[in-house]
Amino acid sequence: MAILTIEKISKNYGPVKALQEVSFEVPQGSVFGILGPNGSGKTTLLGIVMDVLKSTAGSFKLFDELPGAHHRRRIGTLLETPNFYHYLSAVQNLKITAAIKQTDEADILRVLELVDLLPRKDSPFSTYSLGMKQRLAIAAALLGDPEVLVLDEPTNGLDPVGIAEIRELIRKLAAEGKTIIMASHMLDEVEKVCTHVAILKFGKLITSGEVAEILIHDDVVEIAAANMESLFTAVQQMPGLKGLQEKNGVIQLYFVYDTARLDEINRFCFEKGHTLSLLQQKKKSLETKFLELTH
Amino acid sequence: MWQLLKIEWMKMKSYKVFIILSLFFILGIFTANYIVYSVFANVVSKSDAKMLIPDFNPYDFNYVWQTISYTSGFILIMPAMLLIILVTNEFAYRTNRQNIINGWSRKDFIHVKLMLALVFALVSTLIVIVAGFIFGWASGTSVAFNGFTHVLYFFLKTLSYNLLAVLMSVLIKRTGFAIGVYFVYMGAENIISQMLDVFSLKLKKETSFDPGSMGDYLPMNAADGLLSFPNNSIKKLAASSLPTNYTSLVIGFALAYLLLYVWMSRRTVIKKDL
Repeated sequence: MAILTIEKISKNYGPVKALQEVSFEVPQGSVFGILGPNGSGKTTLLGIVMDVLKSTAGSFKLFDELPGAHHRRRIGTLLETPNFYHYLSAVQNLKITAAIKQTDEADILRVLELVDLLPRKDSPFSTYSLGMKQRLAIAAALLGDPEVLVLDEPTNGLDPVGIAEIRELIRKLAAEGKTIIMASHMLDEVEKVCTHVAILKFGKLITSGEVAEILIHDDVVEIAAANMESLFTAVQQMPGLKGLQEKNGVIQLYFVYDTARLDEINRFCFEKGHTLSLLQQKKKSLETKFLELTH
Repeated sequence: MWQLLKIEWMKMKSYKVFIILSLFFILGIFTANYIVYSVFANVVSKSDAKMLIPDFNPYDFNYVWQTISYTSGFILIMPAMLLIILVTNEFAYRTNRQNIINGWSRKDFIHVKLMLALVFALVSTLIVIVAGFIFGWASGTSVAFNGFTHVLYFFLKTLSYNLLAVLMSVLIKRTGFAIGVYFVYMGAENIISQMLDVFSLKLKKETSFDPGSMGDYLPMNAADGLLSFPNNSIKKLAASSLPTNYTSLVIGFALAYLLLYVWMSRRTVIKKDL
């Protein structure tokens, strides 16, 4: 079953094309990342799915059905900013959320505990810090233990500890079999927690699929020896090699993700008569990868 | 719908602005009427102006319904303002979006706001009825219900004020701006209404056509025009120079405007981005 099916959704704000014929499918049980730089249409897309925005064209389905309010009650959603009644406390706000979601108020203390807000549960929302507001919004999304979560930039405004906690929470929820749809402009966030990803840029879908396929890194190994020219010719016959280039006095060898074996490379070169003066595996920076994908 | 109203109550019950404005409104109805009451009891009835006023106390039963409806009508801006604050708050806090994200339909959202306008109108009317009994008894007459129609006109007026408040809120979305536009519109309509009334009179005098008081066909005045102070002596004197009052036509206009407010409010919330 697909939790969410998006079919050719477009959204125009006057002459601005915020989304252009975006289509993808979120399978049940996946942690689905919607990745894109700021202004790429992530929030607009989720806004349409949540019926707070109207699409210009296209359609979508929730739980393989035409979408309705009763579907949204089965989804815990944090969209863009934490939206609460400023003069009400966390508990009073969540009582309203529970009433709208038609779930049990008894769950309120559990979710407040999960996000460490119990000590401040009776303070008005207006007195909260940015991070606390964000955590309350996450608590609201978790209320009633929904089977699907939609989290738009869930770690926004959190400190490093908070970010780590929320990522851990998302992993735990995913392990419980929940479907999580997460929008983020941070590649490492998506890479760390998601199983699937859709990449948006300027409102266009660049690609979508499993993270393992799309965000895969080549293994890059740098080598050098006394006679670079002869080494360059020799390593071209190395088994498993995807490509190579000479750069800044070293040779970079590319292998499919997780297949480079430094000892084998060393032995291969030695057998060809080259003693390596440099042999190191290089991590491709995530920023480089992200720029590559979105440019 | 009951469940939706219960949620609205959760939003309002510990909101200080709601509590304070409600108290002021109740207090206002009693104060305004008490002032008029004591002016009649202590000043007018003992002065030369007695000539101009009816030979009854306007707070005697029968008349009390008309007097209290007319007098209380002047502070109906308060529940309307409260509604504007409550509805525009949702836009300011973006809780309108959150309500829908959490599982209300857009229709749920606007319907409960329209219901709130109705509930405010019912409660206002109830307060006026209670005040009517109190002032009627205070003037020492026995209970009677002739002229109770005026309380129904009062209900129509407060419903009209409230629904216009909801419409302005969903159209304008910003609290201060919406309240400002509401006031400016009220003032502007009054001026236009006066001009239309003068024109109506001119028509009546110069041609045989009597359009009635055309100012009363405007949105807010249609609700206002149904209510007047019981003052038969003056009215009788002036009647010949006034346009005819087509009550049922004015009611028709008032109802038509109510439907228009409801239709436009629903349309705005259901069709547009939130």
